Amino acid sequence: MATTDESTGTWFGADGQVSQLRGLLFKAGCLGATLLALFLVFVFLVYVAIDAIEPGTADPAWWATVATTVAGPAIVLSIYYYRFAPRAGEVAYTALGLPVAATLLAGGVSIVFRHIVSPHEWLALVVASLVAYGALEFHGRARDAGALERVVVGAAVIGLTIVGVPGLVPSLRTLLLSLPVLPMAPLALLGTFVVPIGVGAGWSVRRARESDRAGLIAGGVTVAAAAIGAVAGPVVGVSWTTWLVLTTVVGVPVGLYVERVYRGGKGVSGLALPVALAAGVVVCAVIVETAGFAGPDVWIDWEFLTSAHNRTPREAGIYPALVGSVMMIIVVALAAFPVGVGAAIYLEEYAPTSGLSGSIVELIEINIANLAGVPSVVYGLLGLALFVKVGELRPGIVIVGGLTVSLLILPIIIISAQEAIRAVPDSQRRAAYGIGATRWQTVRTVVLPRAMPGIMTGTILALGRAIGETAPLLMVGVAAVVRISPRSFFGLFSAMPRQLYSWAQLAKPDFYHGVLAAGVLVLLVVLLMMNGTAILLRNKYQRRD
Amino acid sequence: MSDTSIEADLTRSANGRIAKERLYHGLLFCCAALTVFVTISIVATLAIDALEFFGRVNPYAFFTGTEWVLRSENPILGILPLVTATLIVTIVSALVAIPVGTAAAVYLSEYASDRMRSVLKPALEILAGIPTVVYGFFALVYLTPWLQGLGLDVSLFNLLSASVMVGIMIIPMVSSISEDAMSAVPDSLRQAGYGLGATKFEVSTKIVIPASISGIFSSYILALSRAIGETMIVVVAGGSRARMFDPSEPFANLLNSGQTMTAAMVQAVTTDLSGGTAGYYSMFAIGLTLFAITFSMNLLSNRIAARYREEYQ
Amino acid sequence: MTRNDTRKADDSDEQRTDGSGPAVSEPTTRPDATSDSLLDDSFDVTSGSLSGDADAVLETRNLDVFYDGVQALQDVTIEIPENGVTALIGPSGCGKSTFLRCINRMNDLIDAARVEGELRFEGKNVYDDDVDPVALRRKIGMVFQSPNPFPKSIRDNVAFGLEVQDKAGDVDETVHRALERAALLDEVEDQLDSSGLDLSGGQQQRLCIARAIAPDPDVLLMDEPASALDPIATSKIEDLIEDLAEEYTVIIVTHNMQQAARISDKTAVFLTGGELVEFDDTDKIFENPEHDRVEDYITGKFG
Repeated sequence: MATTDESTGTWFGADGQVSQLRGLLFKAGCLGATLLALFLVFVFLVYVAIDAIEPGTADPAWWATVATTVAGPAIVLSIYYYRFAPRAGEVAYTALGLPVAATLLAGGVSIVFRHIVSPHEWLALVVASLVAYGALEFHGRARDAGALERVVVGAAVIGLTIVGVPGLVPSLRTLLLSLPVLPMAPLALLGTFVVPIGVGAGWSVRRARESDRAGLIAGGVTVAAAAIGAVAGPVVGVSWTTWLVLTTVVGVPVGLYVERVYRGGKGVSGLALPVALAAGVVVCAVIVETAGFAGPDVWIDWEFLTSAHNRTPREAGIYPALVGSVMMIIVVALAAFPVGVGAAIYLEEYAPTSGLSGSIVELIEINIANLAGVPSVVYGLLGLALFVKVGELRPGIVIVGGLTVSLLILPIIIISAQEAIRAVPDSQRRAAYGIGATRWQTVRTVVLPRAMPGIMTGTILALGRAIGETAPLLMVGVAAVVRISPRSFFGLFSAMPRQLYSWAQLAKPDFYHGVLAAGVLVLLVVLLMMNGTAILLRNKYQRRD
Repeated sequence: MSDTSIEADLTRSANGRIAKERLYHGLLFCCAALTVFVTISIVATLAIDALEFFGRVNPYAFFTGTEWVLRSENPILGILPLVTATLIVTIVSALVAIPVGTAAAVYLSEYASDRMRSVLKPALEILAGIPTVVYGFFALVYLTPWLQGLGLDVSLFNLLSASVMVGIMIIPMVSSISEDAMSAVPDSLRQAGYGLGATKFEVSTKIVIPASISGIFSSYILALSRAIGETMIVVVAGGSRARMFDPSEPFANLLNSGQTMTAAMVQAVTTDLSGGTAGYYSMFAIGLTLFAITFSMNLLSNRIAARYREEYQ
Repeated sequence: MTRNDTRKADDSDEQRTDGSGPAVSEPTTRPDATSDSLLDDSFDVTSGSLSGDADAVLETRNLDVFYDGVQALQDVTIEIPENGVTALIGPSGCGKSTFLRCINRMNDLIDAARVEGELRFEGKNVYDDDVDPVALRRKIGMVFQSPNPFPKSIRDNVAFGLEVQDKAGDVDETVHRALERAALLDEVEDQLDSSGLDLSGGQQQRLCIARAIAPDPDVLLMDEPASALDPIATSKIEDLIEDLAEEYTVIIVTHNMQQAARISDKTAVFLTGGELVEFDDTDKIFENPEHDRVEDYITGKFG
């Protein structure tokens, strides 16, 4: 480094002390500033956690038990990983985070199957989509059709199978639903949800292990585990939906990850952490139960997650808002993702860069960058005007909230997708064009697969933003409190942040320091998991490049 | 070798393929064009209802009025108290975010080891991902009592706590964009500095920061525009009583409840959702003003940022 | 092979070109036509009208290329015969790669590029309005400077062209044949499902060649295909190119004059400003070039 040597000498280190001190102070100041912001928020988070859990209400013996059975082993293992096995440490944190994130996702999926599409509707949707896909594929192979014919046939097939013409022609989907004999609901879900995921898992294991047998085992185990649950679940007190979703959404990714770690043989000892934690929790529960130690009086418990708002703080819960948020995110993802990625593809791969049309495209890009900075409350006004006043939809329904927030995150998705597409090396495009691929073929087979991780990262971050947005929901009249979960996308709803705001307005200490803290914790855990997934995805992807 | 057969060859089956290509081209173009539609409809919808509003309320009175009382009968609609509150929030949050954010950017770009950076950057990113309603909750439930504990005479709802929280919220924005600008400074400039015997401190402050100044400024403008448009923090923690700035009590606005432009919009819509009153239409006028301010700030920021990108790329 | 005949014929007119060389300063660019005319007067008429020569798979007439108004190719007129290897050499920035990209209209992908003049492929001007560049590229394969396999399996890499071109038939067999043709099959036969990126640089480039020839194009363009490779991999690629020339018309851009001398039958020398200075049999260009500037370039006095 260029700083002068501080040894005693004539020409070297003359004023080294002074400049070094100044430099050190500057560096410390900069580090302090960085940490200050993080520290402040960290302190707030600790406060929230304390409010939501109320550790003071538990027996000291309870805490001691937890510390020795759960926290102690975890800390010892963490230190071990940090000091001696950093690779195992990475495995440990992924192996710990993955089940948690997957469980959250499983919660979302079971909300979907419970409130949005029933297993039979799902069955009908899957079958109808398969028929539509088959028909379109057949048409594409059988005839070398023009653009117009393609559009017409596409619309007709989708109309006949999935959408239907209201009042005139029922779609294949509705016809299927009205069949006199349908497989039982668990069976329907098993066949159309578990089996495809099982096949996917089996295929991925087969590829990785290069063995048909391993693939068959992986797929078979998935389906069997789910099938057992459909029968055994109710016996142990878990509904079959929950069991099916848990085995597929949590079991499959965790299983695949463990399999990969074993196969790779690196950092296998990292798997000890989640095992130790799980064992610790069981031991702890047994000890607490037998000794009769009282646990803390937590606000954030199963009750809170599964019940609706109530005037009595202890009875209040967040469930309808949770369902509302899930439904809204589905609308946002379906609306913003295709449009955002499509716009990004256009701007990066199709748009002219010179001449008049080039400057128009440049204007579009500047416009997108500016839209990303427009205050969310203004988007709320836009949603109000566009969907409620012009579109004549009811204010405060899921679809209005979702579409409004979609407009808000659209520029964010476009910008991040553009970055991801730009990162695909040009040599890849040239290779495809050079071999006679059309533009769309190049995009579909070369550019998109390569840009997908980056696009997904940006999209997950943007969806995280969407989950936390409150102001646009206020503007389009999303209800402060909804006691019954919305039954359809055209039903009134409340979302988690909207619910938090209405609790904040109640101005009662019990709500401030109990219910509200618990709600904030739920929202933050969901966001942390989403953003963590996105950041992990990006780091993995960047390392690979 | 006859030309016709070859002609047919090079253009063979091109019809179906070109039609398909055109179809995708058109679809994708529509996606991109939708963003222009969004801008136009923002301007159009806001302008139509704002015109409706100015049909009922004198624009001069609106832009120079020093009192804001939103009620269904005879509202008093002068925007200056709201502008005052917005300005206060912006200035205080800038005082918090600019020094801290810039220092953090310098640390991350010039001093942090790779390992440190790999921890701090995602942490700051997660900070940026916290919803604003949660920041508002922090300000209302924890920060305000702290300020009271420090002996400040703040009321339950106050702009000080809200503005400080807005400042904390925009720190990641300042730091990440400024850091990008500093990282874009080519290493050769730094090496030139070291080669002349400069210390790391001198290289950071006399070479890197001046070289990336346009990027740093653009981050400030963007962050301030975010502060101006911030809604939930001020709605939750700032209260809803519009108060005009009074030079005789310069700190009264900070210590007491106040209402920014964004907060007034939320109040207007939550008190009168059915629409029809002047108060309801006022939010479109405020929204248009807000949109114009933030849009031009973003434009300015992008312009400045484009300059530093040109310089080093 | 028919090539040998023409070569002899061209050899025979050295004396003539020596004499008239300085006189043909600007429109140098039709040596084939002139040489034919010397050989036999009766050929004069047919070779004068460019499209008449059955041997020439590619012909250009007064081809100019501009990038944003800067001229990159200047009035290039050339006839490239079928089969065999044609090398394009010249100092950097002389337009040889630009010329190569003109042939399969890869320049279309650069908005700033503008092409004027005629470029006939099998008699059809590829810059006519009714020509679909995609259809053109399906008849003219291309291999690029540095290996650029897709992040897919070896099999999928080679099958890519078949997939995008909707070529029916036994994909596996075509893949095997292409890999065999590219002298890669022995090395990768038991790992067709592993990623193309796992191969060494030289293997990757041969994979790219296999990918280019799998859909069976008529012409193969190569843009300095060995410049990113070590000497051993380079010599393998060179052997391969000589092999491929039996079936395909190979046009190769190279920086390396020894390489051009080793593998090509014909050589075109571009010099600064995008001017095609001389086009003749390789032996002639390297042993007895017509132009002093070419000689200077080849002997290393310039460039």
